[in-house]
Amino acid sequence: MWGQINSGWGYWNVFIWLFFFVLISFFVLWVRSMGRMDYKRNTDQDEIYWSGNDVPEDGADISVPASSSYWGFRVAMEPLYRFLNSFHSGNASDYAGYFVVTTALVGILILF
Amino acid sequence: MKPLDILEVLPRSLWVTTCNSGSCNGCDIEVVATLGPRYDIERFGMKLVGTPRHADVMIVTGPVTRFMREKVKRIYSQMPDPKVVIVVGNCGCSGDVFYKSYNLVGPVDNIIPVDVYVHGCAPRPEAIIEGVTKAVLKLESLRKKEPVSNVVETVGEPVAGEVAL
Repeated sequence: MWGQINSGWGYWNVFIWLFFFVLISFFVLWVRSMGRMDYKRNTDQDEIYWSGNDVPEDGADISVPASSSYWGFRVAMEPLYRFLNSFHSGNASDYAGYFVVTTALVGILILF
Repeated sequence: MKPLDILEVLPRSLWVTTCNSGSCNGCDIEVVATLGPRYDIERFGMKLVGTPRHADVMIVTGPVTRFMREKVKRIYSQMPDPKVVIVVGNCGCSGDVFYKSYNLVGPVDNIIPVDVYVHGCAPRPEAIIEGVTKAVLKLESLRKKEPVSNVVETVGEPVAGEVAL
């Protein structure tokens, strides 16, 4: 029913991976068992520390959005980006057309 | 005291978190100086940690402003037990010259229990180190669950004219 997979005894041997998985799991659990368990559950002691503030329900409320990256650069180049965005119709046929036109232009430049 | 006795007093490192509850930053600078290379309190095991969840000791500087009341209480409650609070500076100890300000709810012991008071404006690093040693003794007695004296440790003398509330 099951085909036989012969991986040999090298790096990809399943039993070696299982052995190290068990070994590392045992080590991780041993380290974890040395942690403190005397904290008070369901109090602030098991809450996230957020510089003393209430932890927000939604991280987006307090995080800086990725769109703010290179804000000045984006604003300075806005006319160019607006021009380029006008080409982005979302239609794959248009993109294929751009490819054909660009290839033709490059071909003309090379040939002549 | 024999070296062995000293080791018994401080069997493990003291991890400290700081909280500025409205300080002018003068006391914070002294705390940083205490941790800096000249006084280098880390050689005794006092280590500054970034979260109260890892800390044994909370150092509070400044009188508690209305805005900081809940934050101070939350940070204190997030520390694992046993824990010790050191107030550094006259403002946190008594409110000092700001004690009548409309925006203060302090001093600190109005908000959370305080174990060691370090007076001064701002206190010298030597006084802060002395306060830490008193905190170590208090913390160890709490860890051993020995009866703790109700007498609160005070380092330094209150400055002349400081208002006792």
